[in-house]
Amino acid sequence: MLNLTNLVFLPLVGALLVAATPSKAVGLQRGITLLVTLVTAWIGLALCLDFDGSTAAIQFAEDARWFTLPGRIDVHYRLGMDGLSVLLVGLTAVLGPIVVLSTWGHIHQRVKEFMVWLLVMQTGMLGTFLSLDLVLFYFFWEVSLVPLYFILGIWGGERRLYATIKFFLYTLAGSFVMLIGVIWLIWTAGTTDVMRLMDVAGRLPVDTQIWLFSAFALSFAIKVPVMPFHTWLPDAHTEAPTSGSVILAGVLLKMGTYGLLRFGLSMFPGAAIEAAPWMMALGVIGIVYGALLSMAQTDVKRLIACSSVSHLGYVVVGLFALTQAGLRGSLLQMVNHGLSTGLLFLLIGMIYERRHTRALDQFGGIAAVMPIFALFLVFAVLSSVGLPGLNGFVGEYLILLGTFQASPWLAAIAVTGVIFGAVYLLMATRKMLFGPLVHSENRALTDLGAREIGLMLPIVVLCVWIGVQPNAFLSRTDGSLRDVQARIDRARAVRTASLGEIPVHRLELEGR
Amino acid sequence: MNQAIVDRILSAQTLLATGPFLALALGVLLLVLVETIPFLDRLRPVVFLAALAGAAWAATRTMTGPTLWVFEDTYVANSTTSWWSVLFVASTLIAWIFGKRYYREEARFQGEHDILLLTAASGLVLMAGARDLLVFFVGLEMLSVPLYALCAFRRARRDSVEAGMKYFMLGAFAAAIFLMGAALMYAGTGTLTLSTMQARGELLESPLALTGAAMLLASLFFKISVFPFHLWVPDVYQGAPSPVTTFMAIGTKAGAFAFLLPMALLLPSRSAGLIAAIALITIGVGNLAALVQTDLKRMLAYSGVAHAGTMLLAIAGDLHGDPQTGAASQAILFYMAAYVFTAGGAFGLVTMLEAQTGRPVTIESIRGLQWRRPGVAAAMALFMLSLGGIPATGGFLGKYLVFSVAVRAEMIPVAVIGVLLSVVALGYYLRVVVAMFMQPEVEGRPVPSESRVLPSAMALVCAAMVLVLGVLPGWFLENVR
Repeated sequence: MLNLTNLVFLPLVGALLVAATPSKAVGLQRGITLLVTLVTAWIGLALCLDFDGSTAAIQFAEDARWFTLPGRIDVHYRLGMDGLSVLLVGLTAVLGPIVVLSTWGHIHQRVKEFMVWLLVMQTGMLGTFLSLDLVLFYFFWEVSLVPLYFILGIWGGERRLYATIKFFLYTLAGSFVMLIGVIWLIWTAGTTDVMRLMDVAGRLPVDTQIWLFSAFALSFAIKVPVMPFHTWLPDAHTEAPTSGSVILAGVLLKMGTYGLLRFGLSMFPGAAIEAAPWMMALGVIGIVYGALLSMAQTDVKRLIACSSVSHLGYVVVGLFALTQAGLRGSLLQMVNHGLSTGLLFLLIGMIYERRHTRALDQFGGIAAVMPIFALFLVFAVLSSVGLPGLNGFVGEYLILLGTFQASPWLAAIAVTGVIFGAVYLLMATRKMLFGPLVHSENRALTDLGAREIGLMLPIVVLCVWIGVQPNAFLSRTDGSLRDVQARIDRARAVRTASLGEIPVHRLELEGR
Repeated sequence: MNQAIVDRILSAQTLLATGPFLALALGVLLLVLVETIPFLDRLRPVVFLAALAGAAWAATRTMTGPTLWVFEDTYVANSTTSWWSVLFVASTLIAWIFGKRYYREEARFQGEHDILLLTAASGLVLMAGARDLLVFFVGLEMLSVPLYALCAFRRARRDSVEAGMKYFMLGAFAAAIFLMGAALMYAGTGTLTLSTMQARGELLESPLALTGAAMLLASLFFKISVFPFHLWVPDVYQGAPSPVTTFMAIGTKAGAFAFLLPMALLLPSRSAGLIAAIALITIGVGNLAALVQTDLKRMLAYSGVAHAGTMLLAIAGDLHGDPQTGAASQAILFYMAAYVFTAGGAFGLVTMLEAQTGRPVTIESIRGLQWRRPGVAAAMALFMLSLGGIPATGGFLGKYLVFSVAVRAEMIPVAVIGVLLSVVALGYYLRVVVAMFMQPEVEGRPVPSESRVLPSAMALVCAAMVLVLGVLPGWFLENVR
């Protein structure tokens, strides 16, 4: 029962089950979906708890030959968990039932289709994080686009068709370029096994590495999104239904940062060292630019969407600082962003269901009529701005520490994002919650119900838990991150050696 | 005639090699017979299907085992040509089944229709096996002449007659260019047989033979609808009866590619750049033109142009790298197999909807289709995603294989431009999905909600094949080569 195949494909089986129900049986469809996501969450969490973080070895591995490509290259069905994926798998698994519960409030039409796509999505995302075969990874990577395309396009807001096509074409352009990189890499290395590819790719000449890295990184940068590839994100988020936004912010964007970590840094360390200043610069620009964008928004959902650009800028900066602190912080911040921003989107969705607007100036003084909502919103905002004691603080602190080790100047600019973040999020909170109740429509608002509170509680617990005891989470990533760091250091040594005319082979031997 | 020669020509080996063609040709003769005898016309579908089944069975007999050269090395049967034959049979079957109850006024001429269709199919088989320019030409004409008639089959409709006329004029022109090219090649090399030409490789360097080869290519490019010989495609595809369009889109394209592959081996490797450029322009032109179409047949026609360009990339890669590996052949065969079921299914569903509503199928008319025909809409969406090359469909793996031929030949910039141009394609494939799933129905004149059994079953088979080719391609990759 507790294995990765069940974890990945149980939602797909659930999707088939839901598809077989009569379309009127909405309750049944919701019930099946909730049950399936709960079981998936249980399997996922149990595996994450079982996971031993002290080693970089692949755990719970599954392997079977899938098919053979021309040139006698065997493509395998190969799943496995390591320190790079463990937290993200846990996040995806936990968010599953939460998203399903949140749909009670806003998905009333074509429920069956929605549940089917939601479950297919879950399979796609878990598969992306767990694939250790490049072709399989690419499969899941692109397949997970399709459900979100439908979720956005069918259940989205007014400009949904524009947003959904923009999202799809944008991400697909990246994926197609990555496909050429995938083909090239597989052909050069003669294998599709990610672990073996990591060894082979790391030894390629740096020029080749840079080309391949660019092909992969473009696709991931669009997904994250890194400035200047971010323009699809605010549109997609604004038009998506709440549950779509939660998945998008919570998990889907993490596929991009996860890709940068596994297929950017770990696979092409030589190229990553060369690209690091550029990527860090883009990350820092994203932090500041995203923050400025957020300040200018009047739609609160769009505001949070833009803040994602800023927050994920941190993750990118932390990754390409190429230090242990930066890597750990980034990995943790991926989870943090998923939790805090997911929570914010859930809350915005709940107020939208009641008030049918998201314009900031339509609110004010809500705290008086919706005290519980206010409590959760303030908590989510504080978690998002990085209040010490909550999850965001640990991640941001580690990232800034790591960045400082790499480049104090960039760290100095990046830290302004923390201040900006506090400014726009707290200002928005003030405008919504406090002050006088200007609009009479807001007087009749009902506070959150038991379902709404219940579905947010797990996120709240996790936020506090990460904030208080981050090592419970970070320790699971240690082994793998040390391995990544070793690869980077080795590439660095090769680089200095080639600059300083020291024979490369000797250093390479010492490095191992 | 010398008895020895007769014995050699009419040997068991010859029968084995030409089996698929003979089955179809026999089917044509039987159909003519059945048509003329009053009580027997009920047997027509039986004879038609039996001929196709016989051809497929005959093709399986040469799938493994040694390559058979017959008729003085002018015709070949090996696993590749056998698989092509199977694809032709599948194309014909798809076009025929989706075309059930398509014709109204012309329904009483269904017999002629089937005879012509089967003749065209036999021409395809001949084209794939031909290794001699004249044998190929005979196959080409056996395909083309029935198609001219079929395009104009709805004789009461002006667009159908116009399509037939257009196709006939341009097709005749292409045939003439082919003959001229063949004559020049003969003048340059002294032979019409491909294997002899290959043996005398250096002769192909003569300007005369090269000019001839270029003319041959132009005529083949006309058939597979490659820029700048693609201009007839949208008009003819739109005007021709939809079952015929389906057959042309998948069958004709497959047949021309089947011969283009051995023919391309003769080209000098420095032509790779030119072919790659043509391929890229074809992808670009096809996709950009498809973006602005509202008629589904026209849109799919342009999409077919783009797909032809994509497959041509593999030939360019082959010429640039090592042409003897057969990588391009396998890639194109797989791509084409996926395309037969994908585009065949898409054109087929258009045929079915057109037959049910009696109107051309446009983006507008399929709006909100998922409310009335969820199955049709789902299958159509799958076909669109496969045409766009999204994983878990055969279209993705086909694209992977074709582009990997280009990448292996170190034509990486070409491959990158190629994939970027194919992103454009998703723009219009998604429009179809958007219309079916994300937009409300148009008031009045809805698509009837009752389904038709045979076309629905065929659509299911096509969808299943698209998924099998995409998810479990192992068997095909190992055996189809």
